[in-house]
Amino acid sequence: MAAIKHHKQLPELGAALLSAAMALPCVMGVAHAESAPEKGTLSFKYLDYKERQQIADGASAGYGLSDSKSGASAFDDRIRVKATASKLVLPINSEWSMSGTLITDSISGASPAYHTEALTGMKDFRRAVDTSLTHYSPDGTFTLGVNHSGERDYVSRGVSLLATRATENKNTTWTAGIGVNRDQINPSNRIVFNETKNGTDLLLGVTQVMSMNDIVQFNLGYYKGHGYYSDPYKIYDERPRNRNHETLQTRWNHHFSELNATTRLAYRFYTDNWGIRSHTFDAEWVQNVGWGWSAAPAIRYYTQTAAKFYVEADPSLSPFPPNPPMGAQYFSEDQRMSAFGGLAFGMKLVKQINLDTKVDFKFEQYGQKGSWILSGKGSQGLAPFYARSIQVGLTHAF
Amino acid sequence: MTTEVSKQSTHRLHFKAMGSACEIVLAAESYSDVQAIAQFAIDEVLRIERKYSRYTDDSIIAKINQQAGKSPIPCDDETWALFQFATQLFEKSDGLFDMTSGVLRQAWDFKNPTLPQPEKLQELISRMGWQKVQLQNQSIRFSQEGMEIDLGGFGKEYAADRAANVLKEKGVNHGYVNLAGDMRFIGPKPSGEPWMIGIQNPRQRNEVIATLPMSHGGLATSGDYEKYFELNGKRYCHVLNPKTGYPVNYWRTVSVSAPIAVLAGCTTTMTMLKEEQGLSFLESTGFDFLAIDSSGQFHTKK
Repeated sequence: MAAIKHHKQLPELGAALLSAAMALPCVMGVAHAESAPEKGTLSFKYLDYKERQQIADGASAGYGLSDSKSGASAFDDRIRVKATASKLVLPINSEWSMSGTLITDSISGASPAYHTEALTGMKDFRRAVDTSLTHYSPDGTFTLGVNHSGERDYVSRGVSLLATRATENKNTTWTAGIGVNRDQINPSNRIVFNETKNGTDLLLGVTQVMSMNDIVQFNLGYYKGHGYYSDPYKIYDERPRNRNHETLQTRWNHHFSELNATTRLAYRFYTDNWGIRSHTFDAEWVQNVGWGWSAAPAIRYYTQTAAKFYVEADPSLSPFPPNPPMGAQYFSEDQRMSAFGGLAFGMKLVKQINLDTKVDFKFEQYGQKGSWILSGKGSQGLAPFYARSIQVGLTHAF
Repeated sequence: MTTEVSKQSTHRLHFKAMGSACEIVLAAESYSDVQAIAQFAIDEVLRIERKYSRYTDDSIIAKINQQAGKSPIPCDDETWALFQFATQLFEKSDGLFDMTSGVLRQAWDFKNPTLPQPEKLQELISRMGWQKVQLQNQSIRFSQEGMEIDLGGFGKEYAADRAANVLKEKGVNHGYVNLAGDMRFIGPKPSGEPWMIGIQNPRQRNEVIATLPMSHGGLATSGDYEKYFELNGKRYCHVLNPKTGYPVNYWRTVSVSAPIAVLAGCTTTMTMLKEEQGLSFLESTGFDFLAIDSSGQFHTKK
């Protein structure tokens, strides 16, 4: 007589009793109101990110065949980011909490001036501060956030408001948010001066507890922005000054009681007025293995269409970039505007050392190719791109 | 990882609550860790005991009972949710699971083997009935004086669920909460094996008739052997039918495993109350069970 495997299969009476019992507060472990944290937490994360891409020299015929006989010398280690993030959450009383995050990155390496070419050395240091104040009430939360991030050439400031509201039985939670950002851009090459970029984000979402083991979520996002979206360090980069995008995101978490494991599946659809449409599929398996350990292998597939103004790479012209079409108003040779598919594999290990202390380790390997696009041909002229990231974190409650 | 295995061992912490012996069983590195974690769960059990006890004057139950037939009493969210659940149980059991039936205890003294006067039982039954409880605008009011409610039907199981949930939130993955035999499991032993739970023989104290492997969910047992007396060869137990006022006498013991303890607990009680119809009722819930009828025959889920 083991515990019930899948109560979804319960006959009518059992299911009715279960759904009645699920309305009781705090008996299931999932369906209860959010309350202000009882303890403060301090967490520290260290990220090491490195990307590399095949260099063009003599490789014009080899695009898309990354592992021919290229070896390491055919790859160019490019940007390396080392970042630390410290986050402090402090309860003020039973209804209020505040949090602050400080991120510092040092970026070193080379960024391509067009497509994957003409690497220009870069070294930068960024400091970002993110603070928020949250109010907890029996039927919801209200969060006011302020963020500021500064680099030599780019300053971003924003405020956001996020409200959640749960139904009486806490099985349904509605979320609505608005965020406003004001950015100021002063590139070191002085191609533009005191440029701005202003955007507004709207979010509407619902999270529904379906059963003891299932939670689903739907989020709709809308962004409208105006200003300088071009990349001042790239050659031939002139992008529209308006950008709107819409996103639809769905998630489904399912817990397997018998296996003590959880699957997290997510799908995101994105479309914007530049012609980029993307799909993201995420799958993660979180396995609790006992003794405070959990292991979570994950896979992600991403695919996007190219922006209308993307100018395709032409390896035969290497090392010169192709010219934008005659008379074109907007153009970009940034590979992020191209059509491609990307695949990431990751593994996260978490060890709860004791009641108050937790360490985590995360590794992710990402690859991107034009030919991995979901449908259509993808941007064929680009060399494959790879990135790996390693993150180590420590969280302590006090 | 082998060193981790030896670090975490199983500890039991005993405490007394709701008038019975209770325990919290956890896997942790040291007994002091268990004490620190378990105290949160014990506090939660004691909170529920204080809030819903029918023995103390300042519990919400006492306040509601004092106002019977008078003005409505506003309920907090938790109490309101419990009353909504009680309404569901009353309906699903055709009126057998009734939070107002506790007054029948005034007629039955299990230390004194005598049968109550029929007039006394009739008088008590006239002061019972969940349908006479008005639940409106998150307030409760009894339409009649002398009515009383108590959380005896599922209070202990509810406390076990809440306490287990507290432990889960503290990061506990292995262990269980046992409130006098009403249990909620948080996860298997650190080795992944289930906990082995013995079911008491209803006719032989200290003897186990079955052992059930449990890792998750709730387990509750109800029987005719906890409080009873015998008179002229007939057993009168403490589970009372609200329609007749008399003890039920079909099941010796009923154990149910359900996703949460409160569900297991009310299912065992409803099965006891349904007597002969209890078996088909149990079957129709879909929960796993082990039951022994008055002839000593075992029944389990088909």
